[in-house]
Amino acid sequence: MNESHAYGILQKALDAAKAEAVVATLNGGTSATTRLADNVITQNFESSRAVLTVSCAYGQSHGTASTEDLGDESIRAVVEAAQAIAKSMPPDPEYMPPVEAAETGKYPKVDGYVDQTAGFEPQQKGSQLAAAAKSVAGKGYRLSGAYTSGDEFLAIGNSAGLKAYHRSTQGEVHLTAIGDNGSGWAEKISNDTDEIDVAAVADEALRIAEMAQDPADLEAGKHTLIMQPAAVSELLAFFLWTGLEAKAADEGRNFLRGKLGQKIAPETITIRSNPAEPNCLSEPFQHDGLASRTISWIDKGTLANMMYSRFWAKKQGKAPTGYPSNVIMDGGTASVDEMVASTERGLLVTRFWYIRTVDPMKPLLTGMTRDGLFRIEDGRIAGAVKHMRFNENPLDMLGRIEAMSPPQRTGEWMAMLIPTLKVRDFNFTSTTKF
Amino acid sequence: MKQLCQHAVEAAKHKGATYADARIVRLRNQVISAEDKRIDEIRDTESFGVGVRVIADGAWGFAATARVEPGEIERIAARAVEIAKASALAKAPDGIRWAAEPVHNDVYRTPVEKDPFEVSLEDKTGLLLAIGKEVLAVKGVKKYHGHIHFRREHRFLATSEGTLVESETTHGLASYQATAVDESTAKSRYFSAPARSAGWEHIERTPLVAEARRVGEEAVAHLKAKPTPVGKKDLILMPSHLALTMHESIGHATELDRVLGMEESLAGSSFATIDKLGTLKYGSPLMNIVCDDTMPFGLASRGWDDDGVAAQRWHVIKDGILVDYMSGREVCHSIGAERSHGSCRADSWGSIPIIRQSNIGLEPGTQPLTVDELISDTKDGILIDGWGSFSIDQRRENFQFGGDCFWEIKNGKRGAMLKDVTYQAITTEFWGSLDAVCDQRFWEPIGIFGCGKGDPMQSAIMTHGSAPARFRQIDVGGATK
Repeated sequence: MNESHAYGILQKALDAAKAEAVVATLNGGTSATTRLADNVITQNFESSRAVLTVSCAYGQSHGTASTEDLGDESIRAVVEAAQAIAKSMPPDPEYMPPVEAAETGKYPKVDGYVDQTAGFEPQQKGSQLAAAAKSVAGKGYRLSGAYTSGDEFLAIGNSAGLKAYHRSTQGEVHLTAIGDNGSGWAEKISNDTDEIDVAAVADEALRIAEMAQDPADLEAGKHTLIMQPAAVSELLAFFLWTGLEAKAADEGRNFLRGKLGQKIAPETITIRSNPAEPNCLSEPFQHDGLASRTISWIDKGTLANMMYSRFWAKKQGKAPTGYPSNVIMDGGTASVDEMVASTERGLLVTRFWYIRTVDPMKPLLTGMTRDGLFRIEDGRIAGAVKHMRFNENPLDMLGRIEAMSPPQRTGEWMAMLIPTLKVRDFNFTSTTKF
Repeated sequence: MKQLCQHAVEAAKHKGATYADARIVRLRNQVISAEDKRIDEIRDTESFGVGVRVIADGAWGFAATARVEPGEIERIAARAVEIAKASALAKAPDGIRWAAEPVHNDVYRTPVEKDPFEVSLEDKTGLLLAIGKEVLAVKGVKKYHGHIHFRREHRFLATSEGTLVESETTHGLASYQATAVDESTAKSRYFSAPARSAGWEHIERTPLVAEARRVGEEAVAHLKAKPTPVGKKDLILMPSHLALTMHESIGHATELDRVLGMEESLAGSSFATIDKLGTLKYGSPLMNIVCDDTMPFGLASRGWDDDGVAAQRWHVIKDGILVDYMSGREVCHSIGAERSHGSCRADSWGSIPIIRQSNIGLEPGTQPLTVDELISDTKDGILIDGWGSFSIDQRRENFQFGGDCFWEIKNGKRGAMLKDVTYQAITTEFWGSLDAVCDQRFWEPIGIFGCGKGDPMQSAIMTHGSAPARFRQIDVGGATK
């Protein structure tokens, strides 16, 4: 939906509202996915949607309603629903009025919209995936995966006069090459589908799969581990989302309580957000209208900032930060080959799977390795080993990093730029059967 | 709506589809959240749209829109056919084998005594605040979170075979968590009216306020609980806990699309492959796992799945042996079945149907056995209630689970509370150690209100019932080694 159309709908909602304060957001887009399994396109779908969400407030009582029917009658109905909820709600001492219009001056410039990506057709995806599948099948392997592309937009208008619109495009392909007894995985993410080389992603998945065949048994325990960016990103995502919330920390409910401003990792560790970071673009503002911040969470090892909502920031005398719009971990200069070459005995993993928090206060995470776990001996990859379960403290792990590569684009759930890490004494606790 | 669905199907056929179905779905969600002494949020959302799925040129296409009007429906029907033709660039050599299903023309509605959307918001917020008052009255409790969520899905489905069905399902839950904080850590305790296909009467019949002090006291006790032992222990798992263990180690492992490798790149596959059908010893002879999409309170019960297949009841595991799977019309032929079990569901009008877990659960024991008798018969064990951490490998073999609350069992008596308990096992070894299941009186259905699968991820709902059950000599405490 273009800017003028979106603003027109938002204005209808704002005009219909009688509440003391109103925030209307409209977000949506078109997403199209082609899925592959065993070299065959098994699913192929496209869906367009736009959701109008209206929040109304009387004093400190507020309510929210949303609809996907954008007709005039439905817009009036959703405004009335939000108002009715607000009138039924007890006053909320943590209610915050709409973000002021001046906030738009803090929005970073982000241009993540590429026309050819928005118009990328199923025939184009189908041709590229079919060619990749044929190539992989020719080597005796099966190719599975998905290629998703599309555009999305976010528009906001409120009774304080704030008005904003942003649109972007996305392309993401991930492929798994599967042999008789082992698999490999690779991905590519970009705002521009022209930058996505499906054949190259398939080749990388196949390269890993060929190495991953016939894994041997290896005892669990503490191992030096080289983790590719997809693996690191999953660990970091859990770590950040469970630890960075300032309110929980201030109330003693998460593992970073009392640590703001303290050294929690070595000097080499900086983890930050920047919505305008090249190759990792994200939205310049959040759904409440707050600007997405360029901010360091861990700055040279010091816990420099935590996530402050507008209410908690006001209560604690801090600046609101909102949520991280993306996550960037500054890396080093080592290549994966150099990390392997410098390792006498260790392991190399492609990615992790099913990470969950075991103890949010330590913190302790568990999860499995997936799609390629390799034994390193005397600086060389010596063969595949069966997958393992880890139970590891990611905060403690930051202190055991021995080498970092330059960061790469990854992130299953949000845009991330993450390096490959070499970590000593990574704690594996059991093995599985493949 | 039925006419618009039929219009979509006809439009797709006109464009060259050899099979077509159309779903119009209106999904309403109402969520009310409380934090401490305040209501944090009341949110009422509605999603409405139409999805058209086709087979053309021997391949699949699907397109969806939120504009439910004839002209737009014709556009997406044509678009679905166009997409199917792109799929044909890499189609199965034998094409799509679509299992036969009788034509259905009927209506299904969740039995509801009190429409939850007609209950006033004041009653709902009043309930959450009343629970919070009790929880926060317990010394040491520093945080209360309460939650009420109701959803209603109104669906119309038409297929080019002539099926035309309507379903209106209503689901809800109420839950809360008390968190105690001391100088070194924080611990929680959870209680709920578990998610169920039902109306407000389900909430009223659950002692949410009456249990609040106990829940708060157990959160405080959790702070000072004994550390987990490390080693082999007998485990007594309550239905509130076992639901998730079944979901992860049985439910996902017996989805036939996963078994066939169709979800390999994201959700994963399964060790329970079709060459083992009829022979795999999944567990002990006490293990009888039944899917039942006909039980009215089950979250997956909706009359027909999104393939238009009528709801059924069947064994997946019988006397410990793998005997069947959850299936869809596209894949049931792979195990020689002529008819699908009807497990295909989409999470919205905008999503394509995939095999999702049915209401799958452990049958109760056939001999009279109470929970107290089970505890009395256990010398050195741990009783686990509620969900905690959960993780399993992508083929569903190596898993590690925590829980919400734990008590040691010594010489037939429930003893001190424990903390940080996890257990780790290989699926078939774990289920092979099952040696006792309490009887029907103790069987409880527990709803899952958000199960992720698909790519991009879809969220589904289903119910897992069981009675308390005992598992012998399971590895405990490995996470903290």
